[in-house]
Amino acid sequence: MNRPLLEITGLSKHFGGLRAVDGVSFDIRRGEILGLLGPNGAGKTVCFNLISGVYKPTAGQISFDGQRTDGLAPHVIAGLGIGRTFQIVKPFAHLTVLENVLAARGIAHYRHLPKIWSSWKTSAERREALSLLERVGLSELADRLAGLLPLGNLRRLEIARALAVARTLLLLDESFSGLRHEEITQIEALIRSIRADGLTVLLIEHNMRVAMGLCDRLIVLDHGRKLAEGRPAEVRASEAVIEAYLGRKGSAHAA
Amino acid sequence: MSGYLITLGTIIAINAIVACGLNVIVGFAGQISLGHAAFFGIGAYTAALLATQAGLSFWAALPCVLGMSAFIGLLLGVPSLRVREDFLAITTIGINFIVEAIFNNFEFFGGALGIGGIPRVGMFGLKLRGTEFLVLCLFFLVVVMVVCWWLTRCWAGLACFALREEETAAASVGISPVRFKLLAFVLGTCMAGLGGALYAHFMRFIAASDFAFPLSVSLLSMVVVGGMGTLWGPILGACIIGVLPEVFRPLVDYRILFYTMLLLLMIRFQPGGLLGENSAARRVLAKMRPGGRS
Ligand SMILES: Nc1ncnc2c1ncn2[C@@H]1O[C@H](COP(=O)(O)OP(=O)(O)OP(=O)(O)O)[C@@H](O)[C@H]1O
Ligand SMILES: [Mg+2]
Repeated sequence: MNRPLLEITGLSKHFGGLRAVDGVSFDIRRGEILGLLGPNGAGKTVCFNLISGVYKPTAGQISFDGQRTDGLAPHVIAGLGIGRTFQIVKPFAHLTVLENVLAARGIAHYRHLPKIWSSWKTSAERREALSLLERVGLSELADRLAGLLPLGNLRRLEIARALAVARTLLLLDESFSGLRHEEITQIEALIRSIRADGLTVLLIEHNMRVAMGLCDRLIVLDHGRKLAEGRPAEVRASEAVIEAYLGRKGSAHAA
Repeated sequence: MSGYLITLGTIIAINAIVACGLNVIVGFAGQISLGHAAFFGIGAYTAALLATQAGLSFWAALPCVLGMSAFIGLLLGVPSLRVREDFLAITTIGINFIVEAIFNNFEFFGGALGIGGIPRVGMFGLKLRGTEFLVLCLFFLVVVMVVCWWLTRCWAGLACFALREEETAAASVGISPVRFKLLAFVLGTCMAGLGGALYAHFMRFIAASDFAFPLSVSLLSMVVVGGMGTLWGPILGACIIGVLPEVFRPLVDYRILFYTMLLLLMIRFQPGGLLGENSAARRVLAKMRPGGRS
């Protein structure tokens, strides 16, 4: 199939006079790693929140696999197989690491009233959650309370939890930020293996170098607008991008 | 056992049942409720009316009582659970006052006179009284605890815990906030209704003031003192809050002062409650029985 997995057309989100996202259009192709770049406050996270249903768009459309998803509630969008992480990590702090992933793996049960009463203690999902933890390198911490983990592990937990939901599309919001060099390398390898499994990945990244190395294509946002789109080498050469990153603010921002 | 102790034990058991219900709402699903006494009252009035007006036995009326509690829980839960947390506290207080006023002012509910002449619970041709009724209450307490225990290991419970911890993240993994908050709310109100039915048949006379706002506060104190979100916390809390006034009977005028001090001390020194995570009691228990974190 050639239709893109996710199609975003004319997407806008305004907060009062602030145009956090302003008429952005782009596609996510099946099986690619697409990077969303841009300086602080460019509107990257707001884009994620629009795709995952946390915010309703002011204008524009989002179609996932041909189905309109703008306006759907977050839990419904998750049910379509779209998983996401949070830039400011949001663990279920007083649950264990395993329970955090399990709560996400329960997605198959939450829509069926009889199934929600079955026990998870001996379920297949529990084994799947354990293997997800293994995959992100947290299996030894499965019984720790999530709230007590250091940031590096919390970022892994966020990925495991999102993976438990993501059958088709995984959204990663700055999964590398605050991590040490060797941790970054591990997560990079993890993201590549996730793609190798057939998932499509949209990731937000602040660090140009990491994004260039990992992504097939890049989209650069600035002040809520799309500044550039293309292969990493093309984007790096784009003058508009260099300008935005060096901070020569020319464009009018707030209305 | 002396009649006094049996009466005290029965009241504590009933309060424990109701507090377990509140714990499902507050401790499991993380939704503040300051109007739980209203649902206790709705159970009590439904049972009392069905017994005195319709002549139903406690057992025949029980499914109706639970159904009514669930229905009204759903009815009041839908609007209240959509408001923000701080409004939820106020909304639930409002529900408590409105329900009390309805009981107090409508002839149908006995008005200011309340409802009297509620029969004892019959079983095997016996009229349960004293110890027998206490055993019945304890039986229902066990049933309620089994439900709570099952919640700690089924998907529905896990969804509630996740919601309590982080609503946005919970929604992002497919947990419908409205559905699971409502589920916790309805389970909690059903337990309150069950407690109410037992209370009505125990006291055999009920009045609106039995289910006023201060009872909601004291129920919440039970949950907080014992340990929100724990399995045994509400029971321990019901025992402590139930026994203290008896022990300190001479200081009855200072009761409210005492509760306040107790709550403040708890919040300062054991915010998770006596049986909460990292509480002194739990650390001692953990030492005695290595391994478990239940
Ligand atoms: N809920 C909100 N209400 C009002 N303004 C918001 C809200 N969320 C985001 N904004 C604003 O929208 C703009 C874009 O924010 P966003 O979080 O998308 O930036 P970002 O590109 O993710 O930046 P960063 O790299 O710092 O994470 C910012 O100016 C931000 O202050
Ligand atoms: Mg961001």
